Amino acid sequence: MRKSPFIWLLSVIGFIFPGLNVLAATPLIDVEIKNHLFIPSEIIIPENTKVKLVIHNRDETDEEFESYELNREKVIIGNRKGIIFIGPLPAGEYPFFGEFFPKTAQGKVIVK
Amino acid sequence: MLLNSVIIVLREVLEAALIFSILLALSKQSRIHRTWIIWSLLIGLFGAVIYGINIPLVSEWFDGVGQEVVNALMQYAVYIMLLLYIIILLLYASEPAPETRKLLVIMMVLITSIAMICEGAEILLYFFSVTRSAHHYAAVMMGMIIGASIGISIGFLFYYLLMNICEKWSMIFGLGLLILVSSGMISQATLLMIQADWLPAQMPLWNTSDFLSEKSVLGQLLYALVGYEATPTALQASMYLGGLILPVFIIVLLKLKFKG
Repeated sequence: MRKSPFIWLLSVIGFIFPGLNVLAATPLIDVEIKNHLFIPSEIIIPENTKVKLVIHNRDETDEEFESYELNREKVIIGNRKGIIFIGPLPAGEYPFFGEFFPKTAQGKVIVK
Repeated sequence: MLLNSVIIVLREVLEAALIFSILLALSKQSRIHRTWIIWSLLIGLFGAVIYGINIPLVSEWFDGVGQEVVNALMQYAVYIMLLLYIIILLLYASEPAPETRKLLVIMMVLITSIAMICEGAEILLYFFSVTRSAHHYAAVMMGMIIGASIGISIGFLFYYLLMNICEKWSMIFGLGLLILVSSGMISQATLLMIQADWLPAQMPLWNTSDFLSEKSVLGQLLYALVGYEATPTALQASMYLGGLILPVFIIVLLKLKFKG
């Protein structure tokens, strides 16, 4: 019997998005943006592990979380939160900054 | 802040401008009238404003990663339509039927308008954020205008370049550039899907930051042009490579078929 296109689609989705199944196991780290500062400004995560960053923007103004080293970039609108998955990464320091207030909004992810 | 805004806007505009100018040059060589541009500009600009205004809402979708997912899906869609476009273009070149011409025009309108919605909305989001948030916004506005102008100028430059070399070369050069830009889009879309955890995350394959940093002007330019990444994962690198090889394979196959 021929498989229906729908079953095919479901198996393709299941194959492409295995990440959905392991979501619960991912460590979660909350970060705040307050007065254009990241709190905490140093985030320590284990080596070779995927981590879910939940960034709460407590300021009225928007901020863009940006890091060339982490390969991440995301606008977090004022008084809202944003989610960014990072890692797995080799040990080292990965600076990040707030694109709109780079003078104060600085931080780094330390992978040990 | 000024240089930042130049680069952010340039990066978005450049991609759309390149796709636009290449399609325009190739369609002119296929003797297709350029009225289709009006449609893509209308749909593209209107769509970008609608999407741009609704990004705060969209970003709440899928548990807070809606914007990444929607943008990535749009970029994948543009890539697939570019593949279809290449196939239809080659068919049309070997046998110019009116139905094929119609399809070609529809593809071009879809590709350019979706690219504009995707890139335009990013620019609008940045614009809204800056006007709501940053202090020095005269400098930022200036930067945005400079960035957009550079991007559009490069688009014009490529258009006239393609129009002024012989037809065969302009086809090869145009398609080659189109494939490079679209593979870059595939790679960026894959990165967004990884950032949203819709595609599996992996350790980076290599790190060429010391050799060419993504922070440098050249790194930024190469990122915009060909999707340069200093620390790609295996998935991202293979999607990029696959994105390059697939259209080349299709073109060679079709060329052989028409000759045989």
